[in-house]
Amino acid sequence: MQPFGLDLDYVAVVALFCVGLYMLVAKSNLLKKLLGLNVMETSVFAFIVTAGMVEGGDPPIMVAGTSAPYASPIPHAMVLTGIVVAVSVTAVALALIVQIHAHFGTIEIDELKELP
Amino acid sequence: MTGPWAEALPWAIVLPLVGAALTPAVAVRHPRVSGFWAWGVLLVTAVLTAGLVSELVARGPFSYGLGGWAASYGIELRFDHFSAWVLPLVVLFVVIVPFSWRYLDHVMPDERRPPFYALLLLNAGGMIGFCVTGDLFNLFVFTEVVSLSSYALVAVGGRGLAAFAALKYLFIGAVSSLLMLFATAQLFVLSGSLNMADVSLRLGEIGGGTAVMVAFAAYAVSFMVKAAMFPVHVWLPDAHAIAPSPVSAVLSGMVVKVGIVGMLRIYQIYFGAEVLELGAFNLALVWLGAISIVMGAFFAIFQDDIKLMLAYSTISNIGYIVLGLGLASPYAVIGAAVHVFNHALIKATLFLAAGSIIHQTGFRTLSDLRGVARTMPQTSAAMAIGAVSIVGLPPTAGFVCKWYIALGAFEANQAPFGFALVFGALFIFIYYIRMLNAFYFQPPVHASVAQASETPWSMRGPVVLLASLCLILGVLGGIPLTFVEPAVLDLLPFWGQ
Repeated sequence: MQPFGLDLDYVAVVALFCVGLYMLVAKSNLLKKLLGLNVMETSVFAFIVTAGMVEGGDPPIMVAGTSAPYASPIPHAMVLTGIVVAVSVTAVALALIVQIHAHFGTIEIDELKELP
Repeated sequence: MTGPWAEALPWAIVLPLVGAALTPAVAVRHPRVSGFWAWGVLLVTAVLTAGLVSELVARGPFSYGLGGWAASYGIELRFDHFSAWVLPLVVLFVVIVPFSWRYLDHVMPDERRPPFYALLLLNAGGMIGFCVTGDLFNLFVFTEVVSLSSYALVAVGGRGLAAFAALKYLFIGAVSSLLMLFATAQLFVLSGSLNMADVSLRLGEIGGGTAVMVAFAAYAVSFMVKAAMFPVHVWLPDAHAIAPSPVSAVLSGMVVKVGIVGMLRIYQIYFGAEVLELGAFNLALVWLGAISIVMGAFFAIFQDDIKLMLAYSTISNIGYIVLGLGLASPYAVIGAAVHVFNHALIKATLFLAAGSIIHQTGFRTLSDLRGVARTMPQTSAAMAIGAVSIVGLPPTAGFVCKWYIALGAFEANQAPFGFALVFGALFIFIYYIRMLNAFYFQPPVHASVAQASETPWSMRGPVVLLASLCLILGVLGGIPLTFVEPAVLDLLPFWGQ
């Protein structure tokens, strides 16, 4: 489907990216910001995965009994690596948020700013 | 064609990364051993990278196909003139680590040392990988290795505030990394390849187009954030000021340069393909660079905290580098490329000297540190040399590159920016004069400053060594210049288009 001459999947990806960016920028809760970041990450992964499907593409490895459509394996490898990276980033961010909460007793940005 | 050292290329990345993974195991009984272990690993890596650079000098750029797969199918490691940056980078690490042995006594309990040194080694390995990889996706992965270890290193010493600064750094850094991943995917979709040389070739066949420009824009913004240029610099001051001083030296001197080296890599791809007109982009870089210089210097003047002041001065100096890149004339670009290294050296000197002073006196603001030069003459002298050097006065390392960038501004018929540069240097001069005035010409106000002793030799040695290097490179400034010249001149014909 190509409304307005654009591929629908790309439109969806950009919309998702913007939703994530909005959460990251506008939310005051650090955890919600982190969720926003994760939404952005998902949108980029979705972009890579959808790009892996090429109509009429040749299969990378032919085994008896395979049939079209074929997907390129490289985007999958990229996304897997990307997910690993995203999980690490999330883990570090969560650890930092735990530390902030232990020290200041809050994870709301506007409350953190008022602290001396 | 290739010499013995070419085969050693992957080891320069593998060694620090494996060393990092092994650090907690090595130091399981005696946590303090981890410092010596990290130093040893970095020393061997330094020898390796020296061998790589000698190979580069003898036979020119060379490649290594990981896992025996030829380039464009497998992951290619490529060592060219820009990759040679890994040698000074590792050498700086080798100098900074001994400083941290004693410095960390005040910062963290012994049992937290192994993770600290593991992160430092990860950071070094990531940056080496970043500089030598010839694969776009690999570039993203190494960026993340560097960034993640940097976030953790910022938080490692402190409690709440450090974690908050690190989290701010993480949010902005993660978005910039995402943009980079998006741009990588975009180029992959367009060209069907991830190998830089291959992508460049195929982009040339495709020609220009909006999608190619979008990828370039995403890369540019992503690397601007990493380099902390003016509109996207907000994460830098807090993160760099609050980290332990050896970490500040690494972050300010080297990690922000990831953005600059990345920019040069992307230039290589796009210039080879000749699909973009960069005139407007260069103009934007010049303006942003000039604004960064003045803004960084302006904010630095009002800081009382010496480390915060040094952090703002980093923004200023990144401005110089970006201004040089944007001017796109031979002198300016060569000056900028050399300033990537010289600034790392000078900033390491300044942060380590500042760290020593804070470590010995317990104070970190100019008003508290008055008169410290009386009790810590050698460290203060190193600080003064670093200050003179970063202002760009002869005969120090900072002079050579700033002179080249200024010459480049006139060469490119952009004289106003040449004056902006000199004006920025004046600003910078003002705030370092303030610092030297407080250190040398005012009486101490605190007893701990008046009775402070010099640092132990494991801390003073690196500081003195770095300060003397600042002077030596001022006199021998021609050597790095002639070294980057061929790499820059290869690219230049396409730069101004």
